[in-house]
Amino acid sequence: MQTVLRQAVLVVCLLGGISLAGIPLAGQEAPYFVTYDHHLEEPGNLEISVANTGGLARADQRTYFAPYLEFEYGTKAWWTSEVYLEWQSTLGDSTIFTGWRLENRFRPLKREHRINPVLYLEYENINEASRIQKEIVGNASEIGVRNSELQQTAAHELEGKLILSSNTHSWNISENFMVEKNLSQDEGFEFGYAVGISRPLATLASASNCRFCRENFVAGVEVYGGLGSTLGFGLHNTAHYVAPVISWQVSDNTALHFSPSIGVTHDSDPLLIRFSYTYELRDFGKKVAGLFGR
Amino acid sequence: MMTRWMAMVAVVVVTAAACLSENPGYQQDPSWQAPAEAAKRPNPLAKKPQLAGGGRKLFLRNCVECHGEDGRGLERKHSADLHLPVVQSQSDGTLFWKITNGNQGRGMPSFSQIPDLQRWQIVLYLRTFSSAEPPGQVH
Repeated sequence: MQTVLRQAVLVVCLLGGISLAGIPLAGQEAPYFVTYDHHLEEPGNLEISVANTGGLARADQRTYFAPYLEFEYGTKAWWTSEVYLEWQSTLGDSTIFTGWRLENRFRPLKREHRINPVLYLEYENINEASRIQKEIVGNASEIGVRNSELQQTAAHELEGKLILSSNTHSWNISENFMVEKNLSQDEGFEFGYAVGISRPLATLASASNCRFCRENFVAGVEVYGGLGSTLGFGLHNTAHYVAPVISWQVSDNTALHFSPSIGVTHDSDPLLIRFSYTYELRDFGKKVAGLFGR
Repeated sequence: MMTRWMAMVAVVVVTAAACLSENPGYQQDPSWQAPAEAAKRPNPLAKKPQLAGGGRKLFLRNCVECHGEDGRGLERKHSADLHLPVVQSQSDGTLFWKITNGNQGRGMPSFSQIPDLQRWQIVLYLRTFSSAEPPGQVH
């Protein structure tokens, strides 16, 4: 457990050192952890995120940490692909690898509109010990069970999302509607939602290369939760969270995100602490192609 | 003597690289046209040229990857040389619309996530490419 935490701290410190050294990186992004907006990764760029979801346990449960790595690649201006690798560590239990995910987002409309739709498709090859909670769907999961048991239950899942997002007067408003199907078990189709609103703390950019200028911070709030499934649609036995979010564009290509998510139903974790560190590699696709003489 | 030779070689290499990276033969996408209403929008920051310095910072953060630090475009990216009259003759509203919407077919992403006023700051900075003197430098 301590080794995992030490390694995570080491990785964050190394990446932080690189970013503070001032290597150029790109673009302001939404601060959300669960809600998606309509902005895709720039074509050819690779964004690497080191993130963690920490769950503060209820009285009868144990606190856990769920670190994950996220690789986001801009395949085309209208298509972004992502791969996730995730782990989970429960205090007093064990640390295990909980699986991987492959997601794709497609932007069908070429131009900006009042509401911009994005289609999202994801395949998850995880197990029931997964706790990164990148989306909340269906009913609340059991947390009291030991990792060794949960790890035995595979979950091959397909997930679709309709992402609707608008930018208006420097505000971003995004709504996501999710449906998920576990191909390994008969849980029906599970539903969920996420809604977010955010705004930069300053709308004009100063000429100086400051790290702590207000324009480098985006703050907002997101609300997300499950809506049951086709076996029982509704709010009964579902988890819902209200989460203030903030992101800090540390340098041109690095960002830190932080969000304390407060569980608002009995079936939610009382508190989720989320943070992530993002580093963007520009022109990654061209550089890799160059290695193969293309 | 050796140092002078190395300096000359370095200058030649840098100059050659700069020349090769420009895209003077840029051809505009005829289908990428701002709607008339958007093209007519004036820049709300037009009377605040001092804000172009912030526009330069945003340009360096978001645009240099394809348009180059000097805004002359990159041939390998097929990106516009922003100094060309074909670009500079476009209205502020048109440039703002193009930054906002991007041109997916040609690989230019939308930058609508940048706040409105900051996109206008970028337009303000782009206008400096048509004049001889650069605006306020990033400190």
